[in-house]
Amino acid sequence: MTIPVGLFTAFIIAALAIVVAAPLILLSLWIADFRRGALW
Amino acid sequence: MNAVDDAILDPTVGWLVLAAFSVIWIFLGWFWGRGSDQLDDYVLAGRRVGLALGTATAMATWVTSNTTMAAPQLALQMGVWGMFGYSLGAVGLIMFAPLAGRIRRLMPTGYTSGDFVRLRYGKTAWRIFLVISLCYSLGWLVSMGMAGGVLINALTGIPYHYGMSVILTICVGYTLLGGFRAVIGTDFIQALLILVGLVIIAVLAITTVGIDTIHSAVLEERPELLNLLMPAGIMFLFNNLLFGIGEIFHSNVWWSRAFAFRPGVGTKAYTLAGLLWAPIPIVAGFVALAVPALDLNIPAADMVGPMVAATVLGTAGAVLVLIMVFSALSSSLDSLLAATSILVVEDIYRRHIRQDASAAHLRRVTAWVIVGLGVLTWLLCAPRIATLAELLYFTGAFVASTIWPIAAGLFARRAGALGAISGMVFGSAAGIASYFAIGFYVAALVGAAVSMACVLIGMLLGSREFDWGRLHERGLVQAGSPA
Repeated sequence: MTIPVGLFTAFIIAALAIVVAAPLILLSLWIADFRRGALW
Repeated sequence: MNAVDDAILDPTVGWLVLAAFSVIWIFLGWFWGRGSDQLDDYVLAGRRVGLALGTATAMATWVTSNTTMAAPQLALQMGVWGMFGYSLGAVGLIMFAPLAGRIRRLMPTGYTSGDFVRLRYGKTAWRIFLVISLCYSLGWLVSMGMAGGVLINALTGIPYHYGMSVILTICVGYTLLGGFRAVIGTDFIQALLILVGLVIIAVLAITTVGIDTIHSAVLEERPELLNLLMPAGIMFLFNNLLFGIGEIFHSNVWWSRAFAFRPGVGTKAYTLAGLLWAPIPIVAGFVALAVPALDLNIPAADMVGPMVAATVLGTAGAVLVLIMVFSALSSSLDSLLAATSILVVEDIYRRHIRQDASAAHLRRVTAWVIVGLGVLTWLLCAPRIATLAELLYFTGAFVASTIWPIAAGLFARRAGALGAISGMVFGSAAGIASYFAIGFYVAALVGAAVSMACVLIGMLLGSREFDWGRLHERGLVQAGSPA
């Protein structure tokens, strides 16, 4: 049972989308912690 | 066949990149380490780490040679199940989230996972646990050091021993100067570099080769990699899930973070880190599936990732790969050095040799242990013995056998020493036997199953209920603070 190209593409694109969002999420958390004086 | 040598960086460029980042990490280590004279500041960043740095350090530490070397390698061995199985390593981070919150509440003055096992199960279980934990830590340190040498060699042509020595020296240097604060701070920057680098490589692989072309080339040359019913791949998936949980549940790398985070941060940080980490091995593994489409000749299995990246990206892109790889390895090596050093100092030196040692004395000993661990790792990395995946998976049986003793010990009052000891001993033995009898992909599975049976039987037969208050030990008196 082979994974069809459409499902394979969706799988890769979905993973890539989260990897793209991850640095933006980390930076926004950093700004929020920095403003509250709660970095460390 | 394509000549991959054309895409590999000139050694001079490689040395320049290594030198630039070495200066940055060492400077940041010194900068963030100023004033870390207290033991708690040096080994646990003052126990006040917030959500942003907490999430990034958990994520960056878990991005190791797994993603840069073994994930692409396993994608070529196990196909889509290999990629998906690797991403299930994130389940370990997510499942550790509630444990991290509970650890912080139950042990506000704790230092190591060894502290927990000693107070919860007594000295015999503690010493068995220490053997497992220290062997695992050393195995992980060696695999990181080796990965550094191999990757730097593959990308720049710099000899293995030089690359391995540089990465070890730099990580020891900034961890020594800045302690855990340097580890956490650099991890944040390294997490960003890894993510951005991975996005660029994957996007260029897609635009250069195309997902459709990669799919059809794999289907033509290696159809088993796209088979959703690949038995070894499915076994690997469950095995990797348990291996990841075992690695995280027992290792002081993750416990030290639970102790270092502000109250209320641990659960959120580990959950978010797991969710953001999960797609990383999928994207890294996908890059390796471009091998058939690129018609590459891979001389050594553990060089799949860097060779594909170097072929797709060329010289300028290879600089980016080197930075990403350097970050991935540094973020794990520094964490391991910091967490293993306090494990050695607290559980071996303080508890076995100098029980009356002051916090200031332990602070100095920790620095020496960081240097000692660096030297030991270098000595073990010097002869390049096993392939990385083999080295990594050999420890699977041991760590998986600690899952149930740790989890039950944190939540179930009835869990007792006999169940924990038999779980770790018989689980490890059965896991290792299956490693040699069947294969690396079942060792953690068997180890966890046997350990679970032992712990559950121990709970059924035991009658004593543990008093959680016994986990709250009086903390060490820090210099300058009231006794």
